[in-house]
Amino acid sequence: MTEREVVVKSNAGVHARPAMMIVREAMKYPCEVKLIKDNIEADCKSIMSVLGLAIISGTKLIVRADGEGESNVVESIVAMIENNFRSNEESA
Amino acid sequence: MSSTRMGTRTRSWFPVFRMEEKIQLKNFLGDTGSIDLQIRLVAGKAGLDKEIRVGDINRPGLTLAGFYDFFAYDRIQIFGLGECAYLRQLTQEKKREVLEKFFSYNVLCCIFTTDEEPDRFFIDYANKKEVPVFVTKKDTTKFTSSLIYLLNEALAPSVSIHGTFVDVYGVGVLLIGKSGVGKSECALELVERGHRFIADDVVIVKRVDESILMGSGSSLLKYHMEIRGLGIINVSDIFGIRSIKNRERVELVVVMEEWEKNKQYDRLGLEEQVYTILEINIPNIVIPVRPGRNIPIIVETAALNQRLKRLGVYSARELDKNIQESLKRRDAGE
Repeated sequence: MTEREVVVKSNAGVHARPAMMIVREAMKYPCEVKLIKDNIEADCKSIMSVLGLAIISGTKLIVRADGEGESNVVESIVAMIENNFRSNEESA
Repeated sequence: MSSTRMGTRTRSWFPVFRMEEKIQLKNFLGDTGSIDLQIRLVAGKAGLDKEIRVGDINRPGLTLAGFYDFFAYDRIQIFGLGECAYLRQLTQEKKREVLEKFFSYNVLCCIFTTDEEPDRFFIDYANKKEVPVFVTKKDTTKFTSSLIYLLNEALAPSVSIHGTFVDVYGVGVLLIGKSGVGKSECALELVERGHRFIADDVVIVKRVDESILMGSGSSLLKYHMEIRGLGIINVSDIFGIRSIKNRERVELVVVMEEWEKNKQYDRLGLEEQVYTILEINIPNIVIPVRPGRNIPIIVETAALNQRLKRLGVYSARELDKNIQESLKRRDAGE
């Protein structure tokens, strides 16, 4: 199991589009990926589940994965959140 | 994860998440509260952030009279006509002594019923010790029963399950399975056939009683559903009010999984499989999904079969019994 803590800084929080980005990333890996906010856990592979967390700017999150590719998926989701959900081309 | 485990067949990949919700005394008040008790606060505002941990109440009659053994100070203290009459007949000196002792414990909160107002003394002590004091118009018995009901419901252990929840012919059917197996599509088809949609993806299941699980959706995601290829849709807007429901008792768990060639699926239905959620066993069936199989009609039939079983009719067992009797007759007669 791999987990990392990250704080959401993007002003709009995690609304539909960022949620979709997280889900897309998580779907690339076979392992179980979770997003945890204040002890409430969400399945990263379900867009409704991620949206249901109601993540606003300043929320502290834990990204946790268990299984094949766990460190890669945690790494890339954390990077995505730290980059405020800008795509790689934009931030480069 | 630990609170959910399979009965006969083991599978561990359905995400089940523990929920932790805090219930504070301020939730009792109308404007902020989720628990509407129709009570008003008369003292101890500073203690409103205190957390309620147990759904039990205490009548402090014996305590006030001086018997402090078994004083459940961490419960909600209900002051009815008896307690109030007792306090009223005390001399000022005695009352001070009684209240001094009573408030020396870390009392959670006090509720006065039948519109009895606590006197100045009581309010001063409550403010000093930051013990919220509420007053209700209702009489003690009625108030207590609704308080216990609402508290139990609010404090009920709950989990959030990744699945889809639909009311099929009045039976709450929880569809679970790996993402992409077609839970949401199945629910959509069921709605189209006149059944009612409750929640998709995030199903909150509460144990409201020793044997009853209630399922509902998250208030934020209400009636929304994600269909791959379509995106997010609102079932209530598209199919109308008759297609949705707020909550329902969880009575059947349908596990959808991809057809495995070498796996033995249930062909008789003689034994009942169970799926355990929050230590309660719910009847469970496993449906193998394969192109060309009409899953919604299987779910519909499973729901109807469940209703029959509730009435004590077990089709597989009856057929088995008939066959056994017929075999016995032939054996003896011919």
